[in-house]
Amino acid sequence: MPQHVPAQVEGEAEGSAGPAPAPGQQAGAVPAKAPRRVPGALRPRTLLSRLPLLLAAVLWTVSLPHIGFRSMGEYGLLDRLPVTYYLSLLVLTAGFLAALRRAGTAPWWPALYCGALLMALKGVPAVLYDSERYPWASKHDAVIDHLLADGELRPGEGLSGNMSAYDQWPGFFTLNGGLVRAFGTDGATSYLNWAPVVLGLLMMPVLVLLYRTFTEDRRLVWSAVWIFQLANWVGQDYLAPQGLAFLLHLAVLTVVVRHFVRPGSAGRLRSRAYLDPAAAAVPPPTGTRQRAVGVMVLAPVLVAVNAVHQLTPVMLCVTLLALCLTRRYRNLGLLAVAGLIMLAWDLTMGRPLFTETLGTLRDSLGDLTRNSRAGYAGELTGAGPELAGRANILMVLGLAALAGTALLLRRRLVHSALPLLLASLAPVPLFVVNDYGGEMLFRVYLFALPGAAFFAAAALVPAAGGTDALRAPPAVRRICAVALPVALVALLAGFMPSYYGKERMNYTPPAETALVTRAIDSAPEGSLILATTGSFPKALHRYDQLEHWFFAEQELPENVEMLRDPAGYLVARLPAGATAYVILTRTQDIYSAGEGLLPPGGFTRLTTDLVASPLFDVVERTEYGVVLRHDSP
Amino acid sequence: MRHVRIRSTPDQEGSPVSQNRQPFPTRQTWTRTALALSGWAALAATALPGGAPLRWIPVLLFVCLGPGLALLYPRPAPLRPGARLEAAALAAPLGLSLAVLTATALFLAESFSGTAFLVVLAVLTTLAAVLPGLPLPAATRGAAERPRASPGERR
Repeated sequence: MPQHVPAQVEGEAEGSAGPAPAPGQQAGAVPAKAPRRVPGALRPRTLLSRLPLLLAAVLWTVSLPHIGFRSMGEYGLLDRLPVTYYLSLLVLTAGFLAALRRAGTAPWWPALYCGALLMALKGVPAVLYDSERYPWASKHDAVIDHLLADGELRPGEGLSGNMSAYDQWPGFFTLNGGLVRAFGTDGATSYLNWAPVVLGLLMMPVLVLLYRTFTEDRRLVWSAVWIFQLANWVGQDYLAPQGLAFLLHLAVLTVVVRHFVRPGSAGRLRSRAYLDPAAAAVPPPTGTRQRAVGVMVLAPVLVAVNAVHQLTPVMLCVTLLALCLTRRYRNLGLLAVAGLIMLAWDLTMGRPLFTETLGTLRDSLGDLTRNSRAGYAGELTGAGPELAGRANILMVLGLAALAGTALLLRRRLVHSALPLLLASLAPVPLFVVNDYGGEMLFRVYLFALPGAAFFAAAALVPAAGGTDALRAPPAVRRICAVALPVALVALLAGFMPSYYGKERMNYTPPAETALVTRAIDSAPEGSLILATTGSFPKALHRYDQLEHWFFAEQELPENVEMLRDPAGYLVARLPAGATAYVILTRTQDIYSAGEGLLPPGGFTRLTTDLVASPLFDVVERTEYGVVLRHDSP
Repeated sequence: MRHVRIRSTPDQEGSPVSQNRQPFPTRQTWTRTALALSGWAALAATALPGGAPLRWIPVLLFVCLGPGLALLYPRPAPLRPGARLEAAALAAPLGLSLAVLTATALFLAESFSGTAFLVVLAVLTTLAAVLPGLPLPAATRGAAERPRASPGERR
């Protein structure tokens, strides 16, 4: 069994385990002058743990009715959140830092604070919004509706806009189909805003387990979890296959690093004399037969990852390949099984999109500039989106700087946690392969995040135990005592614009949803739905019966040309005999302006021109948008 | 016959002797029974009106945690450090994987329904609750610390 020696934690002796014996005094002996306490009275340190949580909960709850999400301006939610909300986050941070000092003996408190942070950061839309947050979530809701209506999977149907891909990797949607039916709700609408909170809660123990495999310092574990949450602004935890697939990916990675250590490979990584005082010894090794059984245990999870998402199995395979670079985790059998399962899925269920992607690889391979860009084509425009964009870059740089500091200063910890570093770096080469619809940058960041958060925390939480030679010098510990709270507040300050700076694109008023639903419900089967972008609520409602053309999702010069004569541009490109509905809504306006798809004022000009054009008839017009119809001869 | 007493670790549950010599102590039996019945309780909850909290909460808890916990419980003794955290952390990924595969298989077989989804998961959970916990490699017998590698083997 590996040695289980929790690192000495500051203040640990005064935790729930009771006072530490004085030097020279035997453990368990009664101290000479034990302080008298009233039974049941709270100790100051216990109060310091509990009070901030309570205060933050009160401040957060009080702030809710004052959050003006319906009247968001160019800064999204940022200037609609009251001071009490921001105070609640600061109080939570202070409470977490206090709880961290006793993390070794009272681990529930940092855990509670991490759960509270998750709820405080991502629970606001879940509690307040009266509609689906984020148009892409509503797209996934449409896929669930489609599956439930059909009752079968049609991976080869060839629906417009590659929508059949959702039947080719259907696991997330079939699961939600099961939940919708078992909950007895009309669709996923009633619960989809809670996805970030639920996925975050399910992910937290997996992260803790992963981090505890590499460190015994609970302060480091919880700091890493906290940093992970603050750095997880990338928005991949909404109701989408990626969120679930990432959870499964992390679980596989965690099982591998805990259970797939090859015999005779640990060497000095089990020697306390060599290890960083915070590091955990390498888990016990396992024989070939045991690891073969382990592969069988993991097989359902590996198949599920493939059933859920097309990109995550690739990330998983490159991660397992990177782990094979270490002698500790050279499990070629597991890599082969993971690769074969992926190939089997891609060549059967996922064959149409897989072959299409292979066909385009020749163009995308090696095009680093294009593959690593964010979004479709445009530049972020407007105060809120620009601030969000700058905050994103600063967050990435800040996290990289912190993790880089740990790589330089805590080399022994890096040596023992090398698999985590490799797992974080493994997805980066995927920039060479494909742009994943302008999303590759965000996905690589997401998959690198668990390791990056761990090493960033390692830079901020110095080793407290161990021998004098290995322990961090007092000066470093003093610097870190200041740097940790400063870094956590800075990351918090970066999270808010990164996550909520573009929130006006994500909140869609129910009246807009109703307008779109009415328009699409009235469209005859086979009609063509036109919109500037697919980023509006219910964009893909009835997608299996309609065709779609999101005509502004292209390079800006093309759109400038389109704006010269929008009606002529669109009509010239419509197939003969088509019935087309143009749906232009408020959320499209905000999205196309914020993402720079259209020049300033472009959306208004487009709307005015189309409404005035004799080629289009206005079907319905409200303050949330306009629906037009054109019948091609 | 010599009575071998296995030393407990801080993470171990209950009496080490009872865990190793009696396969079904009372607490374990109760836990296994609760896990075995959890799916059927979730199925019974679907008789309530759609969207009612007393319906969706047990269903959500069961789908997320029931099958995974049933698969992982009980962990083989003596427990490794973090074994209970491991069961708690991996329950959801394992359980959700099973749920994904179940729902997808039902769709492929064109026999999907909410009841079929829950019944299959409940049957799997009941079976898993009766069987021993999944043999994760390093948690099984023989995965104890090996003698330290010789200097020539170090890296």
